[in-house]
Amino acid sequence: MAQPVDDVANQVVQLNAARKLVLGDAAFYPQIISGILPIVGPHARLELRRWGADFLAETFSSPMLPPVQKQQLAPNVLQSIQETLLLPETDSAVLQSLVQTVASLYPLLFRHIVNHPDDKQSWEKMNAIKQDILRRMDSFTCPVKICCVKFLQRVVQVQTSGLIADPRRPDQNETSLAIVPRAHAVLAIPHLEAEASGLLDRLLGVFQEETSDALLVNATLNCLAPLIRTRSTIANKIITTILDFYPAKHVHPPFTPTVRVSVKSMERTARALLINVIKKNPSHPLVGKMQVHIERLMQSRVEMTEDASRKRGFPVEPTDGLDNAKRVRLDAVAPPLLQIPPMAPGPASFDKLFTLTQDIGLSSFDVKQLPSDLVVKIAVPLLAQVNQSMLTQAVDAIRNRYETVTKEQNLARQQQQQQQHPAVDDDDDYEPEYQPMDVPESGPEEADAVAPEVPEVQPDLVSLGSFVLPQPPPLSEEEAAEVGRSAVSRVFSMINAAETEPSTKNKSQQQLGFSRLAGSNFDREAWVLLLTRLATRAPAGLESGDKLGKGQVGKRSPMISDSIRETLYRYILEDFRGRLSIGMTWLNEEWYNDRIQMSTAASRRDDGEESEINVQSHYDTWVLRLLDGILPYLDSRDIKVIVRFLSEIPEVTVHITQRVASLAKDPERVNLCVQALMYLIMFRPPAREMCLNTLEDVYQTYEESRPAAGKVLAKWRPQQTQPTEQANGATESAPPAAAQDTTTSTPAE
Amino acid sequence: MAFDPRRVNTGSTTPQTPPPPPPPPPESSTPPEMDSTTSQDESALDNWKLKFCTVCASNNNRSMEAHLRLSTAPTAFPVISFGTGSLVRLPGPSITQPNVYSFNTTSYNHMYEELHSKDERLYRSNGILNMLDRNRNLKWGPERFQDWVPGMPRLEHLSKGDKGAIGTEGGVVDVIITCEERCWDAVVDDLMNKGSSLNRPVHVFNVDIKDNHEEALVGGKAILDLANRLNNAAITQRQRHGTEGWANGSGPARQSFDELVPEILAEWQEKNPNLPALWTLAWL
Repeated sequence: MAQPVDDVANQVVQLNAARKLVLGDAAFYPQIISGILPIVGPHARLELRRWGADFLAETFSSPMLPPVQKQQLAPNVLQSIQETLLLPETDSAVLQSLVQTVASLYPLLFRHIVNHPDDKQSWEKMNAIKQDILRRMDSFTCPVKICCVKFLQRVVQVQTSGLIADPRRPDQNETSLAIVPRAHAVLAIPHLEAEASGLLDRLLGVFQEETSDALLVNATLNCLAPLIRTRSTIANKIITTILDFYPAKHVHPPFTPTVRVSVKSMERTARALLINVIKKNPSHPLVGKMQVHIERLMQSRVEMTEDASRKRGFPVEPTDGLDNAKRVRLDAVAPPLLQIPPMAPGPASFDKLFTLTQDIGLSSFDVKQLPSDLVVKIAVPLLAQVNQSMLTQAVDAIRNRYETVTKEQNLARQQQQQQQHPAVDDDDDYEPEYQPMDVPESGPEEADAVAPEVPEVQPDLVSLGSFVLPQPPPLSEEEAAEVGRSAVSRVFSMINAAETEPSTKNKSQQQLGFSRLAGSNFDREAWVLLLTRLATRAPAGLESGDKLGKGQVGKRSPMISDSIRETLYRYILEDFRGRLSIGMTWLNEEWYNDRIQMSTAASRRDDGEESEINVQSHYDTWVLRLLDGILPYLDSRDIKVIVRFLSEIPEVTVHITQRVASLAKDPERVNLCVQALMYLIMFRPPAREMCLNTLEDVYQTYEESRPAAGKVLAKWRPQQTQPTEQANGATESAPPAAAQDTTTSTPAE
Repeated sequence: MAFDPRRVNTGSTTPQTPPPPPPPPPESSTPPEMDSTTSQDESALDNWKLKFCTVCASNNNRSMEAHLRLSTAPTAFPVISFGTGSLVRLPGPSITQPNVYSFNTTSYNHMYEELHSKDERLYRSNGILNMLDRNRNLKWGPERFQDWVPGMPRLEHLSKGDKGAIGTEGGVVDVIITCEERCWDAVVDDLMNKGSSLNRPVHVFNVDIKDNHEEALVGGKAILDLANRLNNAAITQRQRHGTEGWANGSGPARQSFDELVPEILAEWQEKNPNLPALWTLAWL
């Protein structure tokens, strides 16, 4: 056992030579195996045991060695493996290779026993090894345990029924329980099946662990594909187990980078397995569920690891020609090549530049002869059928021609300049003014041809000097107002344009949460905000000077802010149900602006400024106007609209509640009125008293409101209503209770 | 051999790993191989290494750069390389006219000669000829991953003098490193399809590298770094024999190589935040 190191090294060299031999010719395997077994046996030195175990693993997994020969070699090797295991062997590397060998051997030996029921001894040996491995599996070190996972999978695969591809040729059939005869002397099918079922549970148990070990999970996931593919009886069970497995739930904080790597790997491996299963069997009944699971895994990964931002973005342009060329499947459908004739000779014209056809009749045809509606009829279906690659080719061709033409003309012009023929290029009917300095050179050849001339011409062009536009005449006030209005109307048109666009950005907005900046992405909301602030904040300071002579202001043309307000007002009224949110944004801005103005005014008053500073409350004016505008159009089912309006405006005033109360005039809308007030009473405590007063008024003024309003009052003002209620019950026309003395309240919200 | 201009600006910016020596010319490449076989004779116990496999789409740019790095590193890893695409595609005169070759049957030399005769100026300036020249000095031709039969002996690669062939005669590897997520998906999927008949675990990594020469250089360096870390961990485990060695270690040192893989990758990822990585444990 204790051999000198030199000796061992020599032996390893010899063994390596032997290995080279069998790698070159698999026919030597039987000879070599019987030769090396004594050398690398259980009592040999560690280096030799490792070498031997590796070699055995390689031998029994080699695709070069036919299964029949492996079967013949198996019994001898089993003996050696059993002895090594029982010693017991403790070196991880040796155990790893041995378990791998056993995993390869198991189906071979199983088949051997199926065909040779008399060789009971080998089967017993195999069984002993199997039981030994299964018993010790949990105490093995991690690398060995991983190999045990694969062994488990092999055993399950062998001991479950597979498909019989061809009953007439048993040799061709895959090794599975299905090839075992019913009355086999050694192999009892029910027993084996039960054992496999138990082992499958053990194999899948890794998905139910409280804390997942990514190594074992990945090892298991990656070996399940053959089971799902070839063992239909257990496929559904396996898939269901995987569908219940969410890697992110099986890890615990702290989420170190290592944990993140593990979770990501488990998710990606589970996804890879499911995709593999779907690809192999697209009509599998669980395909839908699997797809949902794949998507969920992707989502949870984004949430959990948040390293999506870590990946580099797409390159702005392909860094070399390879990128796109590689991603497009070109060999599948070769794009038709467009025949590009050279440009017609003679002086260049737009006509010639754009003519790609060589058909004389076609190119001389005057399209103007056709009536325009006919052209439209022809053009629209044609455009729909345009081939992308043909179009690209055609555009490229035109571009090339254009560049060539401009280059030639440039050259001609430069030569002219050199020959002291300045300025006039009479033969150039194509581009008389344009100096295409920025047209890129298409090829180095042409560049070379032009290059010598360029430096001599360059100074000439530069010396043109700078051109300064004269100052525009100052705008008159009316013009300025006109320009302002047109600017406002353009912003309105932006709202309309943004409205028609599908709102795809909702998702990203939600994610931003509080960190969102108002009006930072150019959607409808942003434009609305811009407008409302234009109306409220922007001109706030400018108007304050005019406040002194309010009478005169009224005569003058309306201020820009008022014109925006007017426009906004009309815009919202056009479709107040859909645009109520705009109104809310606007009114909130107004209210806020009023507050700011008031506080500024107050501070200025404190500073002792003499002048009477009058702050106009735009909010009060416009909230009433808007409400007045809406109210006539509300019908009895619009409770949501009115409640939203009342709940979202920043301040409820007595005037507002009176307007709401006026709804009760219409018997159909009495309930609307009462419900709206009830909402305010319940959910807007600062306005509660005010609303209760209003409701009492309504109760007393409009008879139709009594059933509904009575209930509300009974709850919120029992002391006032109860007597009335009783009186009502008796006389039906009792006088109202004394009105409350609180007539106005401004809730400070 | 031909001077490779792409290497000019990278020589000085290699802080973490010593720059690998320039690829030796094929004539002089035999002595080092002889050396390594003789050193195998001297210390058969010490020269165990992880075996690597690099994979990209066409087995030309990224996987071959990594192949070069790994096979010419001071540790000279056993390495083989593949592509997962259906065909080898190299850029052509325009985006719609790539040069297409078939895997396994076309040699790098053939591609080199063909493109050289087609338009030397174009293919010199876009770096294709330099790349092919490097490749033809590394191995015979591009191989397709899906056509690889794990466990099939690769002695002919050894006799052809492919770089990194020593140690991969058995046709198996311990670590596969892909250079694009698509390729990682393809590799994991293909290993599942192959049925894992060898029962041999293999770590499959992805290191996302953009497909251009510059990124391939950066990525190749990072892959070598990853390989070194993995190999060191694996060797440490292997040196602990039996129970005695096992009991001596404590804490992380006690963990096996496989257990350390997620940790190693996480550490590596921190250092290379621009090369998003992915990993799984699959079967050959």
